Amino acid sequence: MRKFLIITIPIVALALFVCIMLSGTFLKTSLEHKDDFPMKIESLMEDIKNEDWDSIVTKIDELEGMWNKIIHRIQFGSEREEINDLSKNIARLRGAAQAKDRTSSLVELSEAYHHWKNIGK
Amino acid sequence: MNEGLVVLVRGIIGFFTLLILARILGKEQISQLTFFDYITGITVGSIASELTVDLSSRAWPHWVGLITWMALTYLVRVITLKWRYLAKVLEGEPTIVIMKGKIMDDVLKKMNFRISDVLELLRNKDIFDLNEVEYAILESNGELSVLKKAEYLPLTPKDMNIKVTSSGISTELIYDGVLIEENLRQMNKDKKWLMGELKKHGIKDVSEAFLVTLNDAGSLYVDKYQDKTKKVKDIGDYKGPF
Repeated sequence: MRKFLIITIPIVALALFVCIMLSGTFLKTSLEHKDDFPMKIESLMEDIKNEDWDSIVTKIDELEGMWNKIIHRIQFGSEREEINDLSKNIARLRGAAQAKDRTSSLVELSEAYHHWKNIGK
Repeated sequence: MNEGLVVLVRGIIGFFTLLILARILGKEQISQLTFFDYITGITVGSIASELTVDLSSRAWPHWVGLITWMALTYLVRVITLKWRYLAKVLEGEPTIVIMKGKIMDDVLKKMNFRISDVLELLRNKDIFDLNEVEYAILESNGELSVLKKAEYLPLTPKDMNIKVTSSGISTELIYDGVLIEENLRQMNKDKKWLMGELKKHGIKDVSEAFLVTLNDAGSLYVDKYQDKTKKVKDIGDYKGPF
């Protein structure tokens, strides 16, 4: 039994470490429908193209709330820079939306999506 | 993002990964480490520290780097165990620096070694006179092995034709007041015998003994919790408290 534990514990520990370190990739994907970050970005893109600014501001709030929840899940398996950059994109997107700047909004959203794809990679 | 928490988790990952891998790598002692082993140790330590605190990159690449270095170290060790030639190429081989009392100056030059270094290593071996040295060999781990001239070698019972019995290895019978019955059985003794022996040392209960060992020759070492030494010699320079 002791020998079994001596072999099993290190293997289980190493496997657990690998899971934690690679957790960013799978934990960023939505666990439920209201957590679907890429879908929210896509929906925002549509609204920006249609210049529906009231809906955009509401959706940015939702996107930020969603992102703040996701950060807790992915923080152990992601780069801090990538997380910070995406947070900055959301902050700048809010400013661009308030200024009703279509171009800047699309730029920020597009960059946010790029960072999203890179998280955990 | 809670940076403190992330560093804590990454620290645990780094610490236990190093611990597990170091156990797998084996029991090579610090004194047996070659120069390359030493560099490997520093590199692995550096990777582990980056894994813990460098939050600008993910833990995974650092961890892969750590595993790679440890795996390669293990691989080289296995290869050098099986292939003697490669072991000599990778780890170097012992070199004779003093032969029949003569210093091998060419060898020293080739190894970028000064005679003062040899003298220092000799002094570490309690040799202050070169006349005492027959052979000196510089090992691959940088240590000097010395064979003294016959007239300077210590006298042994064999030289005097005296018969001696081996004391063997001592086995712990009581450790920190706790009886280790497994060791007692191994030494073909029982508790009754032990208690009888302890009584001779004024011990009535096992819990009164701090350490009791028995060697193969049957000699018992007993240390009690309450030593009768009245005046303990103080070798410290300062009174303290520390």
